[in-house]
Amino acid sequence: MWMLLGPECDLVENDALGTKRHSMGIRTRIEARFRGWLNRRIPPAREVILDQRRIFIFPTRVGFFFGACLLLMLLAAINFENNLSYALTFWLATLFIVAILHTYANLSGLTIRALRAEPAFLGQQSEFHLMIKRSKRREHFALHLKWPNSSETLENLIDEDSVIVQLHMSVDSRGWFSPGRLLLESTYPLGLLRCWTSVDLELYALVYPRPIVSAELSGLGANRPDGAAVFIDGNDDFYGFRSYRKGDSLRQVYWKGLAKQQSPMTKQYTAYTNRSVWLDWDMFAGMDTEQRLSHLCYWLLECDRRGEEYGLRLPTAVIEPALGEKHRNRLLKELALFSKERRSR
Amino acid sequence: MNILQQVPRNALVWIIICLFALVAPHASRLPLWILALYLVAVIWRLQVHRGYWSFPTRLAKVAMVLTGFFGIYISYGSFIGLEPTVGLLLIAFALKLMELSHRKDAYVLLFLGYFICITEFLFSQSLLVALYALVSITLVTAALVAIHRPGEQEFKVGTLCVASVMLMQAMPLMIVLFFLFPRFGPLWTVPIKSHTAKTGMSDFMKPGDVASLSQSADVAFRAKFDGDIPVKSALYWRGLVFSRIEQGAWSALGLYDLPANQRRPEEIITDGEPMRYSIIMEPTQQKWLYGLKYARSDTPGVMQTVDFLLSSFVAVEAEYMYTVTSRANVAVDEVLSKWRRKTETQLPPIGNAKTRKLALDLKAKAGSDEAFISLVLDMFGREPYVYTLRPDVLSEQDSIDEFLFQSKRGFCEHYASAFVFMMRAAGLPARVVAGYQGGEINPINKTVIVHQFDAHAWAEVWLASRGWVRVDPTAAVSPQRIEFGLEEAMESEGSFLSTALLSPLRYRSIPLLNTLRLRYDALTYQWQTWIVGFDNERQFDLLRSFFGETTAKAFAIVLLGSLAFVLLAVAISLFVGRETHPQSQLEKQYRLFSMRLARLGIIRDPGETPSLFAQRAAKALPDYAEPLCQITRLYNQLAYGDAQSSAGNAAENLQQFVRMISRFRPKTRHAKL
Repeated sequence: MWMLLGPECDLVENDALGTKRHSMGIRTRIEARFRGWLNRRIPPAREVILDQRRIFIFPTRVGFFFGACLLLMLLAAINFENNLSYALTFWLATLFIVAILHTYANLSGLTIRALRAEPAFLGQQSEFHLMIKRSKRREHFALHLKWPNSSETLENLIDEDSVIVQLHMSVDSRGWFSPGRLLLESTYPLGLLRCWTSVDLELYALVYPRPIVSAELSGLGANRPDGAAVFIDGNDDFYGFRSYRKGDSLRQVYWKGLAKQQSPMTKQYTAYTNRSVWLDWDMFAGMDTEQRLSHLCYWLLECDRRGEEYGLRLPTAVIEPALGEKHRNRLLKELALFSKERRSR
Repeated sequence: MNILQQVPRNALVWIIICLFALVAPHASRLPLWILALYLVAVIWRLQVHRGYWSFPTRLAKVAMVLTGFFGIYISYGSFIGLEPTVGLLLIAFALKLMELSHRKDAYVLLFLGYFICITEFLFSQSLLVALYALVSITLVTAALVAIHRPGEQEFKVGTLCVASVMLMQAMPLMIVLFFLFPRFGPLWTVPIKSHTAKTGMSDFMKPGDVASLSQSADVAFRAKFDGDIPVKSALYWRGLVFSRIEQGAWSALGLYDLPANQRRPEEIITDGEPMRYSIIMEPTQQKWLYGLKYARSDTPGVMQTVDFLLSSFVAVEAEYMYTVTSRANVAVDEVLSKWRRKTETQLPPIGNAKTRKLALDLKAKAGSDEAFISLVLDMFGREPYVYTLRPDVLSEQDSIDEFLFQSKRGFCEHYASAFVFMMRAAGLPARVVAGYQGGEINPINKTVIVHQFDAHAWAEVWLASRGWVRVDPTAAVSPQRIEFGLEEAMESEGSFLSTALLSPLRYRSIPLLNTLRLRYDALTYQWQTWIVGFDNERQFDLLRSFFGETTAKAFAIVLLGSLAFVLLAVAISLFVGRETHPQSQLEKQYRLFSMRLARLGIIRDPGETPSLFAQRAAKALPDYAEPLCQITRLYNQLAYGDAQSSAGNAAENLQQFVRMISRFRPKTRHAKL
């Protein structure tokens, strides 16, 4: 239900600014109804196989134009009393009817599977990965895929059984971002009819706060604990050699020595890990939640870049200082989901 | 550009093919500059495609449209009429190609293409035109499919297959609709008339006219008799009666030339069984119809005119079918009005003095009218008159004198004209009748095919108590013409269809070709009766023979029933039955790999995993251990690997796989040495 309400609430807020609240009320109610109906008909799922419940079909604008052309042809046939013109008109009319089944068949049997969505910072583009698998029965052409506001793509499934599709979309709300219902449509083979489906793939992108640059923090130095410098393996500065041990990175092998027929040596680097930093919620007192998170996010990334150990203190969670990609992502996720609903993904 | 608006490269090729296919049947009717425009359009569009030229600017487009209109006006002298309209449509078609950039342009172009197919039918609905239209419609539909196949760079037959399958599936319902759709008359009169001159009779006749008509092998009409077909020498198809001679040319009387009380045909009391037959005329752009002597017709739209001729209310612009009853042995116009007698004996005041004198001499010698006629015919038979398709050119003045006394070479119109002149000179009412004589009997469907070269002119003489009597002076000169036909009559001269080299009629002597020709003609007759000539009446008969009576209910049942049937059949073909999974590229390539190894005696057991197979193969072919291992690893990754983990590079990996397989050509050590 969260999914259902979220975007609608936005809609009311946005539209109410410019237009009459009353009429919008009706429109949103109709839209909510439609969404409800759509959710019952095509419930959200990570994987959807397209069948007659999930495929809709309607003539395109070109289809109506074609109909008008047929009417003109029929008029010519009647007025010239020309039987072959009658025949051609009826043939094309029947072609339109046959095209209904062919257009439907082009979507029927396809499997759409949500793969993953790349996390992104607020306002950036996230990449959504999908897989479309073909039915065993036929080739599929001109499958047009997009989310509302996302990039779009046209895919064929001819020789390959499945295709992986990446769609990009700028993310505009922190936390778990849902791209909405995916539109998959096709007008193949004649363009007279459009078959489409609208599926919720339960695919969510994790959206981190937008990093906002702020001046060097006064509290940053003060928060430095006792400074016992310990040299451990790292990437910062060259420290010395030691003999090669199995498992050492190939990049750190001393190849020049190896070339001189010496025994394998490994170059050692150090990182200064003693400077641990606490990124504290209270450091940005006086700002609103999103701004605080944005500043925290910036400093989090900055510390990560500098290779300083950092921890996070939020009203809801405290995470001890550490380093590494996993740690960084964990903290970013904390920021992303701060005061947002958490879902296990 | 929106990706949905892109026109694939391949589709452009299809569209250009369509363009040529559609314009080809019109080519013979079009001025050359329109054809040149097509070449320019195609070249321009291809240059745009190759990136050398740009799309025409708005100014250029406006200029081209105006030039098009101007050119049409220059070439046809008007915008009204079928040819100029079709010309404009075809120009629009070519210009649209030049600015084709989006998919929506392609739709307009292709739907216009369907419409151009229809304009072709307005000129002819023959079987060949219909068969050709099948091809062009399939091509247009294929182009329509091609614009929905994005990313297709090569020319694929699959596109054509999809289009043909769909059109074939649409065929049954089209046939049902064709026969069931009510045929009502035109909603409004169409002002568009064709300006093309058709070969055929005209309403005046100069010496030499019929001879030139006889060079054409076109079909004038086909007749089918209810009973036996009369002998050829009795088949005088009357079309026009020429009662007036002016400056050597014969012409017919118009309706308003007649006195008011003589404008309606006389009623004749008849008894006995008449001959019944139906005629399908090819378009003539004229109103008169053909029939045997004393023809009457109850087909709506056909009227009886004076002189017992048939005429249509409107010009015959398409194949036209009517039924006729004829009575050959009835005397017509036993009483001749005074005005008629005067008209039918009138001659120009001066000219052809020798002929006049000869006529009066012979009349005096003969005594009776009948004897006079046979004397004249005797003269044609006895003296060295030649029946020829290559008559001499005669002077305007005294042309009959020149013909009778000097050249003595003429075609039927010369003899008919000279004969009637002599009759009139002697005071007998006489006139020239133009039409066709004889015809070819098609043994396959028992129709009489009358060609343009059967065109003929003969005479009618009025005799007291017998009325109008047919006299054919040509029969006196060349009896073969009447009994067998023109080809036999011209055998010695060799002039039969001498200008129509390609006409199958010239090769009648080759039995196989002749049978084929006659079969095709029989088919044409069926085509004209059932398809082209299908009308209200025929529809009514057809429905009655199927349902006993035609009710709206039966109508609806047939229509909806066939619709349901067709949809069900198509649905079954699409969704039920064996899963025809086309072997994927990966499997195809792997099979190629296995086959190459099998050739060296390393055969994969059924059920052996690719990895085990590769290990075994590597043992046997240690030189190839590395590629074997790589190929198998990639295969496993592509076939069984989680698509998610291959990071979306499936297509790239597949390409690499294909490359690896194509490079993998193992040879045994022996072969290598």
